[in-house]
Amino acid sequence: MKRFLKNTAAVAVIALAGMGAFSSSSMAAGKLSVSVALDPGSWDPIDTFLVAWGAVGSNLFDGLTERDTNAKLHPGLATSWDVLDDGVRIRFKLREGVKFHNGEPFNAEAVKFTFDRLLGDIGAKGPQRANYTSVKSVEIIDDYTVDFHLHQPDPVLLTKLAGYGAMIVPPKYIAEKGEDYFNTHPVGTGPFSFVSYEPKVDLELAANADYWGDKPKVSELEYRFISELTTAVAELQAGRVDIVEDLPISMLPVVKGDGKLDVMSTTGPAVYGLRFNTRDGITADVNVRKAIVMAVDRATIIKSLLAGEAEEIASFQSSLSFGNDPELKPLPYNPEEAKKLLKDAGVAPGAEVQIDIRAGNPTFNEVVQAVGAYLQTVGLKAVIKPYENSVFLNDIVPQGKTGALFQQSWGGWTLDYDNTAYLLYHTGQKWNPYGSDEKLNAMLEEQRPMTDVAKREVLLKGIAAYIANDVLEMPLYSLKAIYGVNKRVEGFVPAPDNRIKLNTVSVKE
Amino acid sequence: MAGFIVKRLLQAIFATLVVTLLVSYAIRMTGDPALMLTQGAGSITEADLVRIREALGVNQPFFVQYFGFLRDMVTFDFGRSFLGGTSVAVLIGGALPSTLVLAFWSMLISIAFSIPLGITAAVHKNKALDQVIRVISLVGLSFPNFWLAIMLVLVFSITWNILPPSGMSGWLSYIMPAVTMGVILMAVNVRLVRTTMLETLSSQYIMVARAKGLSETKVLYKHALRNCAIPLITYMGLQFGGLLGGIVVIERVFNWPGMGTLAFDAVGARDYPVLQASIMVLSLLIIIVNLLVDIIYGLVDPRIRTE
Repeated sequence: MKRFLKNTAAVAVIALAGMGAFSSSSMAAGKLSVSVALDPGSWDPIDTFLVAWGAVGSNLFDGLTERDTNAKLHPGLATSWDVLDDGVRIRFKLREGVKFHNGEPFNAEAVKFTFDRLLGDIGAKGPQRANYTSVKSVEIIDDYTVDFHLHQPDPVLLTKLAGYGAMIVPPKYIAEKGEDYFNTHPVGTGPFSFVSYEPKVDLELAANADYWGDKPKVSELEYRFISELTTAVAELQAGRVDIVEDLPISMLPVVKGDGKLDVMSTTGPAVYGLRFNTRDGITADVNVRKAIVMAVDRATIIKSLLAGEAEEIASFQSSLSFGNDPELKPLPYNPEEAKKLLKDAGVAPGAEVQIDIRAGNPTFNEVVQAVGAYLQTVGLKAVIKPYENSVFLNDIVPQGKTGALFQQSWGGWTLDYDNTAYLLYHTGQKWNPYGSDEKLNAMLEEQRPMTDVAKREVLLKGIAAYIANDVLEMPLYSLKAIYGVNKRVEGFVPAPDNRIKLNTVSVKE
Repeated sequence: MAGFIVKRLLQAIFATLVVTLLVSYAIRMTGDPALMLTQGAGSITEADLVRIREALGVNQPFFVQYFGFLRDMVTFDFGRSFLGGTSVAVLIGGALPSTLVLAFWSMLISIAFSIPLGITAAVHKNKALDQVIRVISLVGLSFPNFWLAIMLVLVFSITWNILPPSGMSGWLSYIMPAVTMGVILMAVNVRLVRTTMLETLSSQYIMVARAKGLSETKVLYKHALRNCAIPLITYMGLQFGGLLGGIVVIERVFNWPGMGTLAFDAVGARDYPVLQASIMVLSLLIIIVNLLVDIIYGLVDPRIRTE
């Protein structure tokens, strides 16, 4: 009898669950668990600038545009757009029939509300607004048409609309529940809707059966906040987490050696290099800079230290970046030529070269050790000086207090060389403590407002070549985006940045 | 007794003030939280930074900020995290119980093993059993706790897959963090119990107790242990501070959502309100435990009460 009851109950539960699944989502089943390094603390798109937010936010919210795993732009909540009036007005046609998770309709009013909020008082408190300052106002033309009026043309704006602060938020919900409630109970139009959030522990989402795009294939999506990568990998090995992002190189053998797991990687936007102090000391001489670059065998570093999970670069951008020129070749590895250049420049053997780096990135640390060893072979003495992250980023580099070389690493989520180059090489920029080159400034300024895509690309390539010729830096490599994935996960395509929509991913039970 | 407690409480408040003042001042030397928040942003202008600093309230002079913090503390409005604007009270409310429970189990494991082991070692002084216990304790002492934690994860989570490697979910997840902390504490305590026990056992009243013909168990646990208790309680009270320090590391390895994780993340993010409040809570906790130790003294040793 007991067994009978138990079986009946089980059948009933399965039937109910089945019905539930049918009513909420036709096919969605199973739970996918993803580890994220940091809890952003708020799920409001305008509150933070963390990659962790980007990873989660892409599944909760949508932007007007969308970027796929090949970094190509597609229509998102806008179905089409026209750039008008020499680039200072963009007209968007909005997708009809889309609803927020709370049932509120998505329309022109929601778009206007989102940008009024971002550019108004509430956005002023957060870091996101700075990215969208080219937008002057949003005008409602009709329920499903909006015009963006810009202060000046912004070629990267369409890309920026695909993420972070430009994600569309529900006006009624925020007005009724308030800003604070929205921070911890987010509502968007994305493929997954909010279920629960426990700060520093996890965020649970459920499939949004009414999603306008590809319907989610898993019914539950959990993000767990695990700050130690070794702990995240242990969770992956124990089968309690399905996807770990930003796997460090040192953990690759562990994951590869586990039969249940896969390592998946793709070209990413992150680039690493060493910037020269072009103002003081021996590196003020362009030939010395050239010699230092030529002394380092970058290809070998990538093969042996980075397990091949990186690509050589000639300018400070990855191959995904708009403005990258595949024809531009890095300076060759040639220690003999390097020695000669150093001798001609009058650099005494044993001259000291200080390399400042950020502590806490063991992979880059090893790379710099190798760079130091290579410099030794051409008669330079490398001294590596690690700094605490925030000290390095705020007090050393922007203040121009570095040694001859310093770490330069860049995420570049917009995948447009302008976003990197302007901030790194224009006079007066925070990340350009030493250089002041009128010609380079002019080149950087010229391409900015340009709406002719092909022409702008030519100019960006010219900028990259100019910088390579002046050897402002030693471009080292672009690191792939590396993921550890449980083999039970199907349909996962590694994305260059961590903003992966997980609606097309399913799990084997 | 009441006067004694009031006096100690006043001292405690003063100590907390000093600690929070130092922490508040020190974290402001690490740099600008507005820069931290905008690190990933594309083009940040000085005007943006000024605006964000104003919104965070860090544009005001230090003492204005510090008294604002004190006012918040007194009114139990702990302020808001710079990261995402979550209420600090909510964050601490979530983290404190996790840490306390972990601390409790660690202490319990340590006491449950160290007292019998310490007594056994003392009774069998310089014999084989004593040597074995002393070696075990020495090995325990020499383990760095994070190393032990990683080894436990390797064996129990990855090789055997019987315990969750991290997080706080169900009683199984308590085992590894509590054992890691407990073993380190135990190693110290075994030596302490052994030494104090040896001292007590050589005293005259133990000789008297034995001469009376009391059973050895009664001599050990009733007469000797109670007299050992005072130095043990003092030491374990002091240990509590060290325990909270060690918990920061353990919480990180096991991704335990406690005060250590909270404070650690806050340092990295220059999240002043969270760091100030969590350090204040932790120091209050240590002060309260020490106060409790003083009170327990009185209960254990009537001579102290009358002094």
